Amino acid sequence: MGKIIAVHSYKGGTGKTLLSVNLAATFVKHGKKICLLDLDFRAPSLSTILKIKKAECWLNDYLNGTCKIDKVLIDLSDRIHNDGKLFVGLANPSTEAIRDMSAKDRKWEMRALGRLLALRSSLLNDKGLDYLIFDTSPGLQYSSINAVVSADLVIVATTFDMSDVDGTKRMLRELYDLFEKKTDIVLNKVLYDVSSKFGKEEVQTKVKDVYQVPLLGVIPCFCEISRAEGNIIFAQERPDHPFAKILDEIANKIDNDVA
Amino acid sequence: MTKQEVLGKKRMQILEKIRKSLEKLNERMDVIIELQKHGRKDFQPLPEAPLDVMTLLSMPDHLRKTAMTLCRLGRATAEDVAQQTRRARAVESAYLNQLVIMGHLKKERKGRKAYFYVEKEDQG
Repeated sequence: MGKIIAVHSYKGGTGKTLLSVNLAATFVKHGKKICLLDLDFRAPSLSTILKIKKAECWLNDYLNGTCKIDKVLIDLSDRIHNDGKLFVGLANPSTEAIRDMSAKDRKWEMRALGRLLALRSSLLNDKGLDYLIFDTSPGLQYSSINAVVSADLVIVATTFDMSDVDGTKRMLRELYDLFEKKTDIVLNKVLYDVSSKFGKEEVQTKVKDVYQVPLLGVIPCFCEISRAEGNIIFAQERPDHPFAKILDEIANKIDNDVA
Repeated sequence: MTKQEVLGKKRMQILEKIRKSLEKLNERMDVIIELQKHGRKDFQPLPEAPLDVMTLLSMPDHLRKTAMTLCRLGRATAEDVAQQTRRARAVESAYLNQLVIMGHLKKERKGRKAYFYVEKEDQG
């Protein structure tokens, strides 16, 4: 049976969306059936990154109970030239929708959790998908905690920035641990020399000491990624780029760990 | 490390074990008290309280495990929950009833079986 992965972080700008999109593309490249859902209702961005202008229904509608998940999913498999499949579900980027999602009450959030949990049956069981990837809002937002609770694996995108480290440590102890979630770290924007053995070991030891959870991958600060301005999905369009190679390793590790 | 420091460390470890045991006992006492209240005819359950993630976060560990399992199962008996949590059926029954009393769950009898659920599907 397939698994649900939530990509989360304490602070914004740690690379959650970059990681979610490229991880999904990597899995698809490996021939997997993937569904990527934008649960960042405060700042939706998947529609822009994937250059999709219109959706029949949004994830907002599914969580509101006004449409089925099948109507939300957009099949992007024709963009891929192998056996893999890629579906995406988008968050409504309109200001009105963002405002509406920010004003939901506890009862609505409880029902939204039920609907996210139901995706395990409708997408993983019935559609036979290998992975469902949730891209989330940073911090302790309702929608993000719902995603974390529904997931089998939480990938925490983090940096060595002081303001991120303390909050991430707290979230590991006071959120993921309480929900007994399997949690892995992806360290992004690293300025160490990871090409040398010393650099890699130093980073791994530091992460182990600071967070006490497994390190899934280390992504150096690549100028090419910044220069691309979100226009390139490296895993798909630049498969020989070191970033794409790191994602191959991360995807293989996930396959081995959660299988 | 001196002998005294080693002794001090051991004492602290014993005290910590006692504290954890007392916490567990407290949790169990809470369940017994709630269940006794539940048996009283004049007892009124608390008003309905949504079982959202923030509520789950603020719950004691033993109840959170039960509540999360029920969220995943949707509608289940104490036996179904016990199979998932690998705790005794009687323990899960006590915790589920406590969650009903707290207003987080609903309970429905069908024959000899009691089913617990967060919310009926058609209410969603």
